[in-house]
Amino acid sequence: MDSPLSLSRRALLKRSSLGLGWLAFSALTARDVKAATSLGVPKVRTHFPARARRVIVLTMRGGPSHVDLLDYKPDLERYSGKPSTRGTNAQGANLLGPVHPFRRYGESGLHMTSLLPRIGEHADDLCVINSMHTDVPNHAPAVVQMHTGSFQFVRPSLGAWTLYGLGSENENLPGFITLNPPAGDGGSRNYGNAFLPSVCQGTRLGTGQLPGLYSLFFKNSDLADSGIRNLENTSRSSAQQRRQLDLIREMNEARLAREPHQPEVEGMIESFELAFRMQMEVPDVLDIEAESQETLDLYGVGQGRDDRFARQCILARRLVENGVRFVEVASPLDWDHHTLISQNLPKSCAAVDQATGALLTDLKRRGMLEDTLVIWGGEFGRTPYAPGLDGRDHNHKGFSLWMAGGGVKGGINYGATDEIGYEAVDNPMHIRDWHATVLHLLGLDHTRLIYTYGGQEFRLTDNGGQVAKEILI
Amino acid sequence: MRTNQRLSLEKLRRERAGAYLRARVLSALSTALLAAVINAAPSAKERFFETKIRPILADHCYECHSVEAGKSKGGLRVDDREALLSGGDSGPSLVIGKPDESLLLTSMRHTDPDLVMPPEKPRLPDSVLADFARWIAEGAVDPRKKLEGGKGKIAHDFESRKRHWSYLPIVEPEIPLTKRLDWPTSDIDRFILAKLEENHLSPSPDAAPDVLRRRLSFDLTGLPPTEADADRPWEESVDLLLNSAAYAPHWARHWLDVARYAESNGKEANLIYPHAWRYRDYVIDAFDNDLPYDRFLVEQIAGDLLPAKNDGERARLLTATGYLAIGPKNLASQVPEQFTAELIDEQIDSFSRGLLGVSLACARCHDHKSEPVTMADYYALVGIFKSTDTRYGTWVDTENNQGGHLVRLPNLPGQIILTPSLSKEALAEVRARLAQLNEDEKLAKKKAEEGRKSGTDPQKVFNAALSEALRIYWSRGPLVGQLETVDDTGKALPLCMGVVEAAKMCDSPRYDRGDLLHPGQLIPRGVPSLYGLSTEIQAPEGKSGRLQLARWIIDPENPLTARVIVNRTWSHLFGVGLVETEDDFGRTGAAPSHPELLDFLASRFRHNGWSIRWLIREILLSHTYRQSSFWRQDAFEADPDNRLLWRVNKRRLEAEAIRDSMLAASGELDVRPARGSLVATLPIQSAGMVPLNRSLPKDLDGSLHRSIYLPILRDQLPEVLQQFDFAEPSLVVGRRDTTYAAPQALYLINSDFVIARATALARRILEVAPDREARIEAAYRYCLSRKPLASEIVLAQKFIQNAKDSDLSVWQDFCQALLASADFRMID
Repeated sequence: MDSPLSLSRRALLKRSSLGLGWLAFSALTARDVKAATSLGVPKVRTHFPARARRVIVLTMRGGPSHVDLLDYKPDLERYSGKPSTRGTNAQGANLLGPVHPFRRYGESGLHMTSLLPRIGEHADDLCVINSMHTDVPNHAPAVVQMHTGSFQFVRPSLGAWTLYGLGSENENLPGFITLNPPAGDGGSRNYGNAFLPSVCQGTRLGTGQLPGLYSLFFKNSDLADSGIRNLENTSRSSAQQRRQLDLIREMNEARLAREPHQPEVEGMIESFELAFRMQMEVPDVLDIEAESQETLDLYGVGQGRDDRFARQCILARRLVENGVRFVEVASPLDWDHHTLISQNLPKSCAAVDQATGALLTDLKRRGMLEDTLVIWGGEFGRTPYAPGLDGRDHNHKGFSLWMAGGGVKGGINYGATDEIGYEAVDNPMHIRDWHATVLHLLGLDHTRLIYTYGGQEFRLTDNGGQVAKEILI
Repeated sequence: MRTNQRLSLEKLRRERAGAYLRARVLSALSTALLAAVINAAPSAKERFFETKIRPILADHCYECHSVEAGKSKGGLRVDDREALLSGGDSGPSLVIGKPDESLLLTSMRHTDPDLVMPPEKPRLPDSVLADFARWIAEGAVDPRKKLEGGKGKIAHDFESRKRHWSYLPIVEPEIPLTKRLDWPTSDIDRFILAKLEENHLSPSPDAAPDVLRRRLSFDLTGLPPTEADADRPWEESVDLLLNSAAYAPHWARHWLDVARYAESNGKEANLIYPHAWRYRDYVIDAFDNDLPYDRFLVEQIAGDLLPAKNDGERARLLTATGYLAIGPKNLASQVPEQFTAELIDEQIDSFSRGLLGVSLACARCHDHKSEPVTMADYYALVGIFKSTDTRYGTWVDTENNQGGHLVRLPNLPGQIILTPSLSKEALAEVRARLAQLNEDEKLAKKKAEEGRKSGTDPQKVFNAALSEALRIYWSRGPLVGQLETVDDTGKALPLCMGVVEAAKMCDSPRYDRGDLLHPGQLIPRGVPSLYGLSTEIQAPEGKSGRLQLARWIIDPENPLTARVIVNRTWSHLFGVGLVETEDDFGRTGAAPSHPELLDFLASRFRHNGWSIRWLIREILLSHTYRQSSFWRQDAFEADPDNRLLWRVNKRRLEAEAIRDSMLAASGELDVRPARGSLVATLPIQSAGMVPLNRSLPKDLDGSLHRSIYLPILRDQLPEVLQQFDFAEPSLVVGRRDTTYAAPQALYLINSDFVIARATALARRILEVAPDREARIEAAYRYCLSRKPLASEIVLAQKFIQNAKDSDLSVWQDFCQALLASADFRMID
């Protein structure tokens, strides 16, 4: 209380009446929510009690076929092979029933594909939303819209908004981390902070998949992992660096002593301390070898040809466990099955089923699932008809995703598409509505999570968004 | 069988739709009751009206029932809520909360043969009827303004909007009288002091000379002061720096923030713009020559349409129009019309925010919500840009579906051309490959046709045709693109990004909701009627109208242009503008803190030949600028945001200045202009591939030139710029944010760049100074342009202890601490 900083702190508190902490004075001028978004000052300011404290998004890029995976349509099965009456580019295309059988899972008896048995084990925790829809049936804009709400304009991503609203829980770690994000389909736009303070930006761990066809020409080993930048100083020992940091601090404190009320200098002082702590803590958090063999086996680390997704799912758990607010993991294979869907869908499923199931098991047994929201889904779905014979086109008018934990009801289907799975008709859930619902689960009112930039007020949900109250516990 | 199937599906669909409609109406009715109690958010309902209801009314009903059309058949208008409520000859059209009793809906449902709307046309889709039912049930929220029932244009409330301060003419105000007479040295000071006195505040004393010297140098050049600047009279220092070579690279960067300058497209198809740097150099030259601001704007909007004395000037004028071409685009788009509409929208948004401080693009889908801008204004501008050919380069490949062209520059002696030439053999090969692809295409078409006829498995035929078609499409793009960059002999051509007149001039229809599927009437090309100067300036026959648009922007009657640039300039010198929202002078923006001062400067600025240099000089010669930045409790309590300028704001250096002054301190800075840009030499079109290019420095720096010459790839910024709040290059940014995040600290203590600067600085001080104290002094001089305080010498001595000369590492650590210190990054 009696530190040389207290005077200006008080002055600041007086000014903002909310206690912004040290960070981003000029940036944080939002009219309503004034949560500190700093790494250093965890300040949770929800609009109402939060059900979820953290989020893990498993992004299934490419457009997973909802009519094969999560949206069971007996009519589609029955009329498979008949001409489709729906769809703008469906002329001459026939309906195609599920290419692999559905089955029922759990006490709730949810219908899901037989290709995802390990996820199916958690059916009673899954809230399957069957009435998703988005604006465009092209990958890049749809991926960007899913992440930022807009494909036309540069906007902050959902994770950045979350961090802006809630701040971080661990002052030694970044609050928003994305693992191996694809470089294409909007690239860093999908974890960008746009105009939000730079501290809200997603920190990328690992180089992601490459745009489009380029990925065919590179092996995984070519994509050197790049963790958080500048975490290491190879030329100085920790003690030497501490000595240097002490010198910087003394210089900065001398400046503060010469002149009161310099919040920016206070910010700089704290940023060095956090930086030093991050150097200590981050490498440990990233070290998944510290996990038990049983856990590694559960996720499937060391099994199969490519265990990257298994490793990333463990890492995702370690990160949220250590207070990271928002983690995103991209699927290793894509789900863009225009051709040969009957052969390729099982591959895409197999690549994520075990690790995803393990993640849910692991979170549950650690008591974390109830306040961790897990989301599994892609940017759109696929058509119930097959323009070729064994493949499906993009479909943005109706698709499915599931959420688990974090205050959503388990073992339910919400909303519905028409009888063949083409268009969302019952409780349609636009990306905006979904964003509004996710923010709601985090205790944030999407209409009040506002940021003013360049004289304009911005919201994740723009002028729309309806919270799907029915799925909340 | 097949028909039966379809029928049953259709039946099922109808039943479902009916059930769905009933469910929606029922739930909507209960919502209506609830709504009365909890007063649900009006914005959502307005949005619903704007997206679901208004477009339908406009598309299907206005023709016969609106002021706009001058018709009210059956005595009914549907273009405002009251008209709907009072209804026409058959009675009220709306019964709020009761869709089934509302004649509007009854007529749309076609259930009453005597009341069928729209007449003689098929019933509107069920989804539309459901929307109207919901809208009525939920209270028929309708934000449209009440209109006068008679004929005539909807000019009514736009007139009051036009009375917003920024749309009113600039009037040169009287210079205010102040109580204190000894403080003001200029008219600027009189305006500032008068306001301070009004609020019982006093200005701060002058800052110390070394503080002032540093502030002035960073503000004018983005670099620390040099020894040569010392001990000159103030006015002489100002003039010296204003006319120095370091001035333009700093102030040009301010403009590039507004121009959303970048060397790649950004967005989902992030392709490089290897010629964008020419525009950057054009801007630097313009500031170096103090090109009058009005001329500067005309050149950027319509340089291609201006006369040129010689080839050199022609090249310069063409390059200027790069301004319109460097924005982000939806290159992945598969629909050319949509792509063009978005491209034009981006151009309109960027120039209107950047130059006028108002977004005209907000009138794309509906009349502007807050400004006096109609959809007609917007589509009059769209016509201008539709009649303009935007040459942004890039070729078709796996990411890009919208390859473009470039502008050919005249050949000039000594011209820099960085794109590669092709040898004779290489050129022949490219042509041969292209010819081969054209042959392949014919063959593939034939094969597919034969396959289909021969009864081969259609899936196989389809797969083969598709993969071949894609191969040809993607292989051809780069070849065609490459050929466009060389002449007939393979020699690389001088090219730039920019605009030229389109082959065909055309007006744009007004698209309802901005939806290309709903074109309305054609709007003649023209300029907005924002402030009195109405659409009278119309595009001449056979011309796009860009030149007219440019002249409208700089017209003496246009009150925005001068105010906006004066305010931007003020903001760069004081940290914040007189109008805090530098990019928004509209009704949603902030009011000016000193409206008279703003008008005074805007008016003087125009009288002084729109000279930016004159304007900066005028501000710097004021006493206001020379105040100390020291905090004062009494003043702080009265005016915590310092809007009245009782002191000068403390500011953090911008990213470029942080980097450049580190290079200056270590003696490594190369102040010569860089030759072109790293981006121009990248071997691959995709900016997403840049991190994989091992020959590039990881931090995308590796240069000793000033930061303005660093590569600006959207989403792949050089690390130092990314860390220190560089302006988002896809947006118009008048003022950057300032943050103090931990990754910045990590950058300062661990990055290769800063460590290399610290090492060079340590060597430098060991070399120039004989003993420890002299070295500490030298380090302070290089880093902070001042002598160390006694206490600072003690601190430094304590850190260095008994380090020997040979022990570079301790000196290095000390130097790096100085580079990382708050003193280094702050301007007082």
